[in-house]
Amino acid sequence: MKALLFLLSVSLVLNAAPTEVEPRLLYEEDASGLVSDIQVVLKTGSSEDPIGKTGLTNILAELILRGTKKQDRQKFQSAIEKLGATLAVGVFHDRIIFSGTVIKENTFEFMKLLEEALLQPKFDETEFNSLKVEMVNQIAHIKNSNNRLGGLAIRQELFKGTPLEKPSIGTLSSVRGLQIVDIRRAYNNTFHKQNLLFAVASPFKETQWKTVLKEMWMKFPDGAQKTRRVFEPKVPEGLTLIVVHKPKTSTGVLTFAQKGITAQDSERFTLGVGNFSFGGEPLVSRLFRTIRGELGWTYAINSGYGSMGPLSYQPGIYTIASTPSVEFTTKTLFKTLSSWQDYMRNGLKKDELTLAQESLVNSYPFEFESAEKRLGQKIHSELYDVPVLSQEEYQKTLQAAGNKELKKALKDRHTEKGWVIALVADKDVIATQLAEEQKGTAPEHQLKIYSVVMPTDLIK
Amino acid sequence: MKSVMRRPFSLFMALLALPIWGASYEKVAEKKLFNGEVVKEYKLPNGLKVLLLSRSQAPVLTYQVWFDVGSLNEKTDQKLKKTGLAHLFEHMMFRGTKKYPDGKFDELTSRMGSDKQNATTYYYRTNYFESVPSYQLEKIMELESDRMANLILDGALLEKEKGAVVGELRRALDNPSRLAWDELMQLVFNEAPYRYTVLGTEEEIKGFTLEEAQYFYKTFYAPNNATIIVVGDVKEETLLPLVDKFYGSMKSQEIPKLNFKEEPPQKKERKWDGKHPQATSEILLLGYRIPSVNDAEITALSLLASHLSNGMEGRLRKALVDKGIAVSASAGVSHRPDLFEFSVALSEKHPAEEALKIIDREIALLHQSKIGKAAFERALNQELLSAYGSVDNNNSLANMLGEYLMISGNYMRGIEILEGYKKLSESDLQKAAKKYFTKENRSLVIVRPAKKGKTS
Repeated sequence: MKALLFLLSVSLVLNAAPTEVEPRLLYEEDASGLVSDIQVVLKTGSSEDPIGKTGLTNILAELILRGTKKQDRQKFQSAIEKLGATLAVGVFHDRIIFSGTVIKENTFEFMKLLEEALLQPKFDETEFNSLKVEMVNQIAHIKNSNNRLGGLAIRQELFKGTPLEKPSIGTLSSVRGLQIVDIRRAYNNTFHKQNLLFAVASPFKETQWKTVLKEMWMKFPDGAQKTRRVFEPKVPEGLTLIVVHKPKTSTGVLTFAQKGITAQDSERFTLGVGNFSFGGEPLVSRLFRTIRGELGWTYAINSGYGSMGPLSYQPGIYTIASTPSVEFTTKTLFKTLSSWQDYMRNGLKKDELTLAQESLVNSYPFEFESAEKRLGQKIHSELYDVPVLSQEEYQKTLQAAGNKELKKALKDRHTEKGWVIALVADKDVIATQLAEEQKGTAPEHQLKIYSVVMPTDLIK
Repeated sequence: MKSVMRRPFSLFMALLALPIWGASYEKVAEKKLFNGEVVKEYKLPNGLKVLLLSRSQAPVLTYQVWFDVGSLNEKTDQKLKKTGLAHLFEHMMFRGTKKYPDGKFDELTSRMGSDKQNATTYYYRTNYFESVPSYQLEKIMELESDRMANLILDGALLEKEKGAVVGELRRALDNPSRLAWDELMQLVFNEAPYRYTVLGTEEEIKGFTLEEAQYFYKTFYAPNNATIIVVGDVKEETLLPLVDKFYGSMKSQEIPKLNFKEEPPQKKERKWDGKHPQATSEILLLGYRIPSVNDAEITALSLLASHLSNGMEGRLRKALVDKGIAVSASAGVSHRPDLFEFSVALSEKHPAEEALKIIDREIALLHQSKIGKAAFERALNQELLSAYGSVDNNNSLANMLGEYLMISGNYMRGIEILEGYKKLSESDLQKAAKKYFTKENRSLVIVRPAKKGKTS
């Protein structure tokens, strides 16, 4: 049944296989910069982890930084850090990014070490076992973060049976079960020419970088073209309330989620404008002004399409998250629902619409204020095949997003009641509050707790 | 000191402008950063300080207003004697003036495209900041100066804001690390008001009156208690007339002297061992008393923190995280309060005592031998890398200048510490470790889960 669910929720998008003779380099020269920023992007991520082996890509990526065939972890890391450099890795569902920053004068010494790490990893058994212990400890520590627990409860419900069900870092059992042979196999499948993208912001000339990076790139083997998989969240028809039981909290962590949008969605700008004034922008959004500003029930409340990372080929999720004081938890829940209903039906008021448009257009220069940010724009454009808009294009696009367009986009992409709601709080307190809040409501129309989960259930 | 007068203008313009152009400003200093950029310092006759660093890589700028007031002032003020108001008041600064009623400040700054708009309160200072496209400079200055001079404190809005602040407090109280810090401050400081939290208690927050808020505003939000910091795409000749226009007519005030009781030297180890209902594993926090930021030994202590904490080769990480004993382990130097801290989040089933034993072993090694040339070079270059990153960004550079100004009276102190690293040797780090990392000088906090297995 699990396998069937998995197949049903996956649609395939085939990538064309270009014949490449040079590495793909995205470049930003920063003539006055004191450091070089280097990113090596691998265009596959944790969604490639086989079911039951979540955390594999994460462990692989981390192990790359822990020793090469030439030098053990300590020597390798000392060499990096002595140069005035850092080398870190981030693992996402659809990509792995190795990010290096190094003081200008040591840039090319650092590149030799980076090449050594990527091309000659040792995959030492002792390091592997020690890393597994470290990851298991980190996963167990998630129980200390109510925000992360809420996020995991949502993923578990919306992406059941898919690789997105569990966090990129893995679960206690999946990480414990990994073998070094899994790592070697994953390395061979992942680290090849066709899967690589280089991005650099640096005081040096692009021509210098092309030479250095081509030399490195040529040493990688050719690889099989990957098939991109898209995982659709399973949105329920009605409200699904999951309580993650945490006794004696002073606040409740409340997260609403339903299907989000992709980077290529034709309505992304319209929905971005709408979300800004509905809940996206702290201090000025409708949710913030009412639930915090007028009612004082919560310190933080926001909404957005980015809780699983920037927009990508995956639709991901749209979320509304808040941390109300515990006595206002269910009040905040119902108020959020009625605000959403109003937003779905009526969109934004005129002044809210112009506020979002002006604000987004006027703050757009910040997306390009540094070489690092300009590079980020280029990487996103390259990975998800979306253009980087000029200031004029962006302004024109946003101004075309009227309330009529917004209401249509909301109707097409969202539902009024198809929410999974995760609430991290004491289950008994919530049950009492729900009963109190719904006095006089017919039982068949009452919101009930769909399931209660313990923090350990989310990470085991 | 070189005096800079406003640009000449016609008599007609002068007559029109007199009420707002009545002040002049004085250039106090020009200081160079290691990358060649220059920080210019000015002062208005009413005492307002201005720091400017012009750069034109992008058409944006960061605008910050720093007030030399925080939670230390209120607890020691004879009329208040409470904590939490400085922070609650910071929230009220967004609640409207006669010209721009409640909500307008946020709306207008948002419309102008502000980025990272926010405010923070700490023991010794409060700051307000935003980054805006540079053509919006005049508007942001009008808005910031308006709320500094013309805030209307409304009783109903104060009550509403208390709800949000209580929410912020409760969110913090749900965090076991926050309890560890609060307990450490109470343990280390018997006299100095660092023992009181910045947020205050729920009772204190709910009990603040409108009169107390008005007193706080009138007393501490004065030009001679404030500094404006601007980093980004604006020239001196554009900024200074606007400073004059919007802040020149503000009157300086007598600021009550901070009634600060110095903490006597610590003579023996102190310990707090307690529980938190949300903790699922143990936390260990150590605090060693150190001198103030202006002391010469701060340079060695800061580099020692880098050696212990920075990177994958950080000494604490290797001894604790890599061995599976902890999830994270770090060390750092705090100023005002002046402390060297070791902070460890233990892995499940590992007691804090296990980490303490390892830290004691590492400290003994630091006492006995030098850290070695390679480790010294690593720490130094990691600090340089971190500083380069801070200087490169408008917002983080402004933060660095403001923070050092507030803790030391010298906005260049952070740069001086960085330059000072180059004059250090391994022996200096060993000497600092021997002098300060002693048991008598240490306070120790352990936070444990309330009931094992209850939430798991």
